[in-house]
Amino acid sequence: MKLWKSIDELAETREGASGEFVDGVTAAPVFDSSVSRRGFMALVSASMALTAAACRRPDQKLVPTVKSHQNFIPGLPQYYASVYSHRNVAYGTLIKSREGRPIKVKGNELHPSNCGTANAEMQASLLSLYDPDRMRRARVNTAPTSYENAISQLTKGVTDAQAAGKNVIVFVDEHCSPSYEALMRDVTTNVPNMSFVTLPAIVCDHQARANKAVLGIDGELVADLGKAEVIVSVGSDFLGTDKLALHHTGRFAARRAPEPGSPTMSKVIVVEAAYTLTGANADVRVALHPSQHDAFLAVLEQNVVSGTLLGSDLAGSADAATTKAAREAAAALKGANGASIVMVGDACSPRAHAIGVNINQALGNIGAGRPLDPACVLPYSGIKAEAIEAAVAAMESGSVHVVVFDNTNPEYSADRRFRAALAKVPVRVACNLYEDETSKKLCAVSLPATHWLESWGDAVCYDGTLSVQQPAIAPLNEGMASFQDTLITVAKRVNPAAFGDAVTSYYDYIMARWNATLTAAGAGERGWSKTLQDGILKPSAPATATATMNIAAGSSLPAGTATKGRVIVTVPSLALYDGKYSNNGWLQELSDPVTKITWDNVALMSAKTAVALGVAASTDAKAVAKANESVITVTTKHGAVDLPVWVQVGMADDVIVTQLGYGKTEGGAVHANVGANTYALAMAGHTTSYQPVEIAVKSGERHRIAVTQNHHTLDDGRGERQIAKQLTLNDVKGGKVEDLHEHFPREDGSKNNNKSKPLSIVSEYEYKGHKWGMVIDMSSCTGCSSCIVACQSENNIPVVGKEQVMKGREMAWIRLDRYYTGDMENPNTVVEPMLCQHCENAPCENVCPVAATTHSPEGLNEMTYNRCVGTRYCSNNCPYKVRRFNFLNYNTDHRTPLDLAFNPEVTVRMRGIMEKCTFCVQRLNEAKWHAKDNGRARVLDGEAVTACQEACPAGAIIFGDMNDPKSRVAKARASERGFTVLEELNVRPSVTYLAKVRNIAGSMAGEAAGHHS
Amino acid sequence: MKVQEQAPIREPLVLGNPSLHDITARIASIVESKISMKYLMTVGFTGALAAWGLFALYYTITTGIGVWGLNNPVGWGWDITNFVFWIGIGHAGTLISAILFLFRQKWRTAINRSAEAMTIFAVICALTMVLSHTGRPWLFYWLLPYPNQMNMWVNFRSPLAWDVFAVNTYFTVSALFWFVGLIPDLATLRNYVKSDLAKKIYGFLSLGWTGSTRHWHHYEIAYMILAGISTPLVLSVHSVVSFDFTVGIMPGWHTTIFPPYFVAGAIFSGFAMVMTLLVIAREVLDLKQFITLKHFDNMNKIMLATGMMVGYAYGMEFFIAWYSGNPYESWVFMNRLFGDYAWAYWTMVTCNVVSPQIFWFKKARRNVPLMFVISIFINIGMWFERFTIIATSLHHDFLPASWGYYSPTWVEISIFIGTFGVFLTLFLLFSKFVPVIAIAEVKGIMPGAQPSHHHDHEHGHASHAAVTEGAH
Repeated sequence: MKLWKSIDELAETREGASGEFVDGVTAAPVFDSSVSRRGFMALVSASMALTAAACRRPDQKLVPTVKSHQNFIPGLPQYYASVYSHRNVAYGTLIKSREGRPIKVKGNELHPSNCGTANAEMQASLLSLYDPDRMRRARVNTAPTSYENAISQLTKGVTDAQAAGKNVIVFVDEHCSPSYEALMRDVTTNVPNMSFVTLPAIVCDHQARANKAVLGIDGELVADLGKAEVIVSVGSDFLGTDKLALHHTGRFAARRAPEPGSPTMSKVIVVEAAYTLTGANADVRVALHPSQHDAFLAVLEQNVVSGTLLGSDLAGSADAATTKAAREAAAALKGANGASIVMVGDACSPRAHAIGVNINQALGNIGAGRPLDPACVLPYSGIKAEAIEAAVAAMESGSVHVVVFDNTNPEYSADRRFRAALAKVPVRVACNLYEDETSKKLCAVSLPATHWLESWGDAVCYDGTLSVQQPAIAPLNEGMASFQDTLITVAKRVNPAAFGDAVTSYYDYIMARWNATLTAAGAGERGWSKTLQDGILKPSAPATATATMNIAAGSSLPAGTATKGRVIVTVPSLALYDGKYSNNGWLQELSDPVTKITWDNVALMSAKTAVALGVAASTDAKAVAKANESVITVTTKHGAVDLPVWVQVGMADDVIVTQLGYGKTEGGAVHANVGANTYALAMAGHTTSYQPVEIAVKSGERHRIAVTQNHHTLDDGRGERQIAKQLTLNDVKGGKVEDLHEHFPREDGSKNNNKSKPLSIVSEYEYKGHKWGMVIDMSSCTGCSSCIVACQSENNIPVVGKEQVMKGREMAWIRLDRYYTGDMENPNTVVEPMLCQHCENAPCENVCPVAATTHSPEGLNEMTYNRCVGTRYCSNNCPYKVRRFNFLNYNTDHRTPLDLAFNPEVTVRMRGIMEKCTFCVQRLNEAKWHAKDNGRARVLDGEAVTACQEACPAGAIIFGDMNDPKSRVAKARASERGFTVLEELNVRPSVTYLAKVRNIAGSMAGEAAGHHS
Repeated sequence: MKVQEQAPIREPLVLGNPSLHDITARIASIVESKISMKYLMTVGFTGALAAWGLFALYYTITTGIGVWGLNNPVGWGWDITNFVFWIGIGHAGTLISAILFLFRQKWRTAINRSAEAMTIFAVICALTMVLSHTGRPWLFYWLLPYPNQMNMWVNFRSPLAWDVFAVNTYFTVSALFWFVGLIPDLATLRNYVKSDLAKKIYGFLSLGWTGSTRHWHHYEIAYMILAGISTPLVLSVHSVVSFDFTVGIMPGWHTTIFPPYFVAGAIFSGFAMVMTLLVIAREVLDLKQFITLKHFDNMNKIMLATGMMVGYAYGMEFFIAWYSGNPYESWVFMNRLFGDYAWAYWTMVTCNVVSPQIFWFKKARRNVPLMFVISIFINIGMWFERFTIIATSLHHDFLPASWGYYSPTWVEISIFIGTFGVFLTLFLLFSKFVPVIAIAEVKGIMPGAQPSHHHDHEHGHASHAAVTEGAH
């Protein structure tokens, strides 16, 4: 596999090319021309690259970002801007490429939706690029065949359909590509019997239905939480499993870190049945049975809205707790007119969403510059169930001759009726990444799809920003083409007039469209390469949707989808979302920040529900621990699934929550036998609905769950441990932060001073150059887990598998410790990211008998892998337990080409040795070389960025040189909220934590999160 | 060997008043007698255990430590538990041979040979455990300070480096001490055995011993010096082993009481193991004449004393945990009482503190089946003591989020069983091919060995002539 695109040698920006010779010496001219020796070499090498590329494939030029060297230099990375479509949400990306292979996906700072940060899925999709289980060759019936052969079968299907007067339906996944949308229209124009139906794995239209009725907008609005002082969420997991979570997290977190002086922060009230990540971040969290959610909104509406009420028929069913919570929420909202928002969850009814709009409208929250801008509509997020229903009817009637699946897997995710209808279609063709359930069980013809890193495309952001999806590598397998290329080829064969002669590939198609766009935007000649360079078109035409208010129309929308009694809801998984990338070890092993479960989906329920089901003898912690892992059969009217029980504190009673995306049976070795397919339980037409459920306990049967943080049964005054410290906003305002430091006498006699050091009887080592340090703001951190995948990708951290996780051998260098505080019926959560603290007095260093772990003059606790013999003494002696031991040869079991995902800057570790966070020492060295190249002795603040910091959407991780008083890290470290974990041990960590602040009344100073269930 | 006067009121140390020749004949006959089927089967069995353990070790080294049950919070489990257990076992041998020798405790002569042998075999088992517990055992030599092109030495601040020195010193000195003590007896066997090959081997090993006064003179000086070198080792080796824990900062490890507590525990466990083996050897090899109830009585007293020392240490740990006001420390100790490993803790207390209390009664101290059972209890209890210290301290330390639980796999259990196989096999070979009782020394404590009740020092040597009668 080689990089087949040539580099645009015409790009002008050449940062870092400081010249080969010292100033005053000019490069000698060659051939008496104006071409310098350097320029000549550049031209020669570029033309050779072009020649090499040209004999393989039409030349399609890639443009690296301005950060990269514009000429390809072996050993140095190049960055290509692209865009990741997280279903229909566009997130800008930068793809780090080494010697032509992508090795890391990170966020593009210029993109407005994620502003340089990344979520778990987009980062982990890199691993899927190199997944050896990906479909490699086309297949017809059981035999592998050529792409050409498979495509002629598809063409034949389409022409046969035409001849028979029947239709072809193409099921496509949710997307946000304007070019693909246009292509679909053009294909339908040219081949009229071919139509396209968007078939997301998770269908939820309720918000779109409500918006269509009351706002006149067929789609979902994208809120800006950065503009909200008060947030009330009703079942919305906007920080966790929402597609927009990455977008929301940054804006949300920006208002959650108050500093003394002018301390302000938003107030978050979450009403929910499950215990979501959003609930874990709430100031006030109310656990309510879903049957009360509509009623809650109705009472809230009564208390806020003076005009038309949409929920007057629902308010009556509110019980006392609901009413109380709603009144309190109303009071909080009314204090922040125009700067508050009510977020309504996907599981809520269309009416609930309409009530939400009504409340937001009444509070003045809707409008340009407000938390809800009606112009900001998620692209192509309109109602889908109707088209799907029509497709089912068509298939059932026998009028469909061919179905084609473009990255959709309905055999896995669709309801029973849909699957039965598919069976009636004579010709079924799949174009998916894997030989998945649909491809294997339904399709006689199957084409391998290209990964997004291998294909051209584009995307539009909710605010109108356009981006180009620039491939970073040629398709790994010969003869692969993107589905869009296939569509164009088939359309041209069926209708030779289609698309004209100029367009033979999707690249041509995109170029044609973009040329028009660029011309319209007045982007000039270099518009295209500039767009590729930046990753976005600047400026893009802004989004223009406008709302036409018709609140009263909301009253006819259906309400109350959740019945009383025992209900179940199937929600996206935080790691896998809908299961598209389930064959991905990084995601499977990503510990859920709330439940800490890896490699499985479970039936989450409250302790009381477990008792009611008879799986737990009592709500006592020991009985609850025994109830976990017992198996129940869950039956809804759509199907039945066996699931292991997992008791989650803080959940509403009589509610079962289970995650989607697991239980794949085909297509990969990684996801095989992992979890259960809960799509079988989901409601047709609306996947995330609450439904009545029957539960039968399978007595005696157990299913073991791999958690990264165990349950313990002793309640023992662990609250005394000042580990994860908390404050209230009042504490910060009142300067009541001295209790954060209570253990040490200081040199200046004070108790509370980050800046003075504890007394010491030995002289201190003086760090003369850099002294690297980190600050983690627990108040900003939401627990989204991006940092974990970022670190895994950057540092070649192996995936160890479920068995090894169960043994407690997961390798993540950064983990999210979860602590509960307060009432165990409805506890607060504190998430504490934990990584090597790079202690000045590191207890690991003095116990290593072979000096394999030592301290650097820049304050790093360094691990010399080559020297390590593996006594594990360092790990035993680490009070933070952040060291990770390679118990087995986790890295040699990599199947080709998974090893291509490795970062060449980082050693791949063998068995028997210890590893841990290095503060991304390879990046520090790169930054130092860069500084040296530029004639500087020191790295500037912001030049050295760790992978976790780079990915963190909340901006909770600040890294830099603590010796530079002007650096962000030095300033953050001096914050009054700062403390170090286990300060009393005097190991002097280089990581400072800023105490979690809650916007509630009263004081929490001196109270640490201790309970830990 | 200085021989002291035997007060007539004292219980005799050798029963039946055998002649000096009888003693030689009795003990050498064990070596000379034909190898019985029973013996072969026993060795076959222990050898099979050893082979099974070695297979488990081979599997570990070729696959990785991951075949054990260790995990992230618990980086040491049965491996280091077994290491400390075996090192502790060795201490009785050194105490008996060195300290009791310097204190002129004559009753030691009947048991010192087997106790010293046991020391060496136990240290071999301990070395096996400590060498194989690392992630990359083929690099074990990096733990030694040898000159190399990398200019890398060991980290002298690490207690594990101290361990390497302590254990190696211990092994070397113990082996030398044992061998030097064996020389006169090997010469006796050289003279006694009939086969040529055996004569050659014993002849080679006896280093030309003739029993001359000069030989005896040098021998006694050498023996005294080695006893002097060994004596501090009784205290130092297990103190250094305890530093593996005390130098760490883990609650439950970081305590100053560990060195004396570990030494007492080591002697305690060592005596228990000597007891277990001698009760069997005394029956099987019919050594009731030499290993008497008096010996057992004395050993039981030592076990009672050291058992109470460890009991005191257990109590003092709790007091300090409370008195320090350190929440982590006090939590770890409460966790020992009531936590996930409470069963291990209570096993330890029952075996180590409660069960030896019966030895307050003389009848119990002289009841052989009872003491056998109690000695097994103590062996079990002392193993659990080390397990408790290692596993309970590690599995729940500072940050509750990183807590875990550890249980061993079949591989670790097999390796532990294997070390018993190695230990017992070596002990069986020893009991067959080496005099299990120090012939020369026992003769020295016979009443008949005393030439006169009124003698001066020069006469002491005369007694040696009688003692080594068999060697002439």
